Amino acid sequence: MNTQMKSGPWKTLVGLPQNVWGSIFRNPLPSSDLGRASTSFTNFFLHLHPVKVHRNSLRATYTLGLGLISFFLFFILVVTGILLMFYYVPSTTQAYDRMLDLRGTVAFGIFLRNMHRWSAHGMVAAVFLHMCRVFLTGSYKPPREFNWVLGVLLLLVTLFMSFTGYLLPWDQLAFWAITVGTSIASYAPLIGKQVKFILLGDTTVGQEALLRFYVLHVAVLPAVLPLLAALHFWRIRKDGGLSRPAEEDALSADMPAAQVEIVKGPPVVMATSAAAAAAAEPVLQKRHYGIQGLVRGPFTKIGNVPDRSVFAWPNLFMAELVVFLITVAGVLTVSLFFNAPLEEPVNVMHPPNPAKAPWYFLGLQEQVSYSAFWGGVGIPTVEVLLLLIVPYIDRKIAGVGRWFARERLLANFLFLSFVIVNVILIIIGTFFRGPNWEFVSPW
Amino acid sequence: MTKDPKNRATEDTGNGMTRRRMLSWFSGFGLFGSLIITALSNLIFIKPRATYGQPNRFSIGKPEDFPSGARVSLDTRRVCVVRDGDKIAAISTTCTHLGCIVSVSETGFSCPCHGSRYDQDGNVTGGPAPKALPWFDVRLAPNGELEIDKDTEIEQGSYLRV
Repeated sequence: MNTQMKSGPWKTLVGLPQNVWGSIFRNPLPSSDLGRASTSFTNFFLHLHPVKVHRNSLRATYTLGLGLISFFLFFILVVTGILLMFYYVPSTTQAYDRMLDLRGTVAFGIFLRNMHRWSAHGMVAAVFLHMCRVFLTGSYKPPREFNWVLGVLLLLVTLFMSFTGYLLPWDQLAFWAITVGTSIASYAPLIGKQVKFILLGDTTVGQEALLRFYVLHVAVLPAVLPLLAALHFWRIRKDGGLSRPAEEDALSADMPAAQVEIVKGPPVVMATSAAAAAAAEPVLQKRHYGIQGLVRGPFTKIGNVPDRSVFAWPNLFMAELVVFLITVAGVLTVSLFFNAPLEEPVNVMHPPNPAKAPWYFLGLQEQVSYSAFWGGVGIPTVEVLLLLIVPYIDRKIAGVGRWFARERLLANFLFLSFVIVNVILIIIGTFFRGPNWEFVSPW
Repeated sequence: MTKDPKNRATEDTGNGMTRRRMLSWFSGFGLFGSLIITALSNLIFIKPRATYGQPNRFSIGKPEDFPSGARVSLDTRRVCVVRDGDKIAAISTTCTHLGCIVSVSETGFSCPCHGSRYDQDGNVTGGPAPKALPWFDVRLAPNGELEIDKDTEIEQGSYLRV
């Protein structure tokens, strides 16, 4: 009787840490394949990932990690952005002073602003390069058309995020870049003037515009972007993982599972050496499926394909961790050595000459100096529409999953021309334009 | 007679409109319509009815403040007051290209941002500007002061006579 009374509470007390831990983390650190699978499957943060991931998706030279880098930069932007919000006031009389305070009095203020500014520039670059990677490997082809569309929307939201953030320091650069930028919007036919008025809340850039851009920058767009990003990530899973060459799944072609074991050498239909290698892989058979095996659609094939996948734990998670650490290290390094620019406070009477937009809009500004409508509205609209429609025009499944595939020579050539023209325009706008937007030599 | 009465409403009779289908169409229109009304009312909400910045209608002083031949650029108002004899006009100094402030020059107006140039009346003489600088309505208020209304653009060359 006595011992029973003692052992009850005692047992509870001794078991408490283990019980609490066990109630949160259902699985111990995995040591078996089953454990690896359920670790990915039962963890809220990890279950976005597949339990097993194709080897091709882990090749750094295939993805260059650009999508992950974009996401991690966004993560850094959210964290530093929230911290900066503690000291920022979206008021024309206070905003600039707060920038000076970040430099002078706020602990780590200048460092956080640097991180935020350079991550923002980095994110625009990373998202754009990610788009180039996806195009040049043909990864927008069916069944991934809609995810490409989501990606284009994400690029636009990223640019708009950056544009709205540009006004907030309320310095000369901010004021005139937004004056020029919103004037470009007013060239849109029919709705242009209205769009500009609604965006600025007034006819010129002022207090209303600052407040509106602030709300867009810290509330509206940061809600839209993660939503689109979540859809984008979810679609990767639902569209069968990252794109990969057809040879990687070659054995599934018209091949009943029963015949598979006979195939020792390369079958006639598959002539490439990659296919031969694939054929030599052990083939999984006689597996039992749960409900997941029954789902239809363009999912990762189970069963009659060569199993070239590895467990997400630890392979995928380690890869992601490495990319994250590299991204953070890069941002920290740049922020230590380079300060985010801050110009003179706003002077509505005297535009700086030349008044330049952020670098990624300088291609646009260069176009605009020839024709405001065509350069600022016409051509960009056509470009965005072309980007959106491209996966619905170019539907041939050839050369998917390889960089610069020979079958995609024309498409890649056209896309690279588009990229190079825009890069050249940006370089001209950045280095070769001086006062009155006249041609100057940087040397 | 043999048919299940519960299924009668969903029967596809080919061309006839069943009650159920009719009702689902109405519901669909209702829901979709509400969505559009919601979106529109949000748009109306964010479009300001009053602006808090500078008023678009303002007084610039008595006509005597502007001697004949004056071309006075009011940078904060973004307007240039022109007087020629007894004729007074207000020309916008906001560049029609991308909204920079044009400065008064010998030959008219010139923009520092992308090099647009205008003549004395605001007509484009060079650079990327797509159209002439607009003229704003000027009128004499009852208190004898000049009042400019930047919401009302008037035809080039229409002066107020004082």
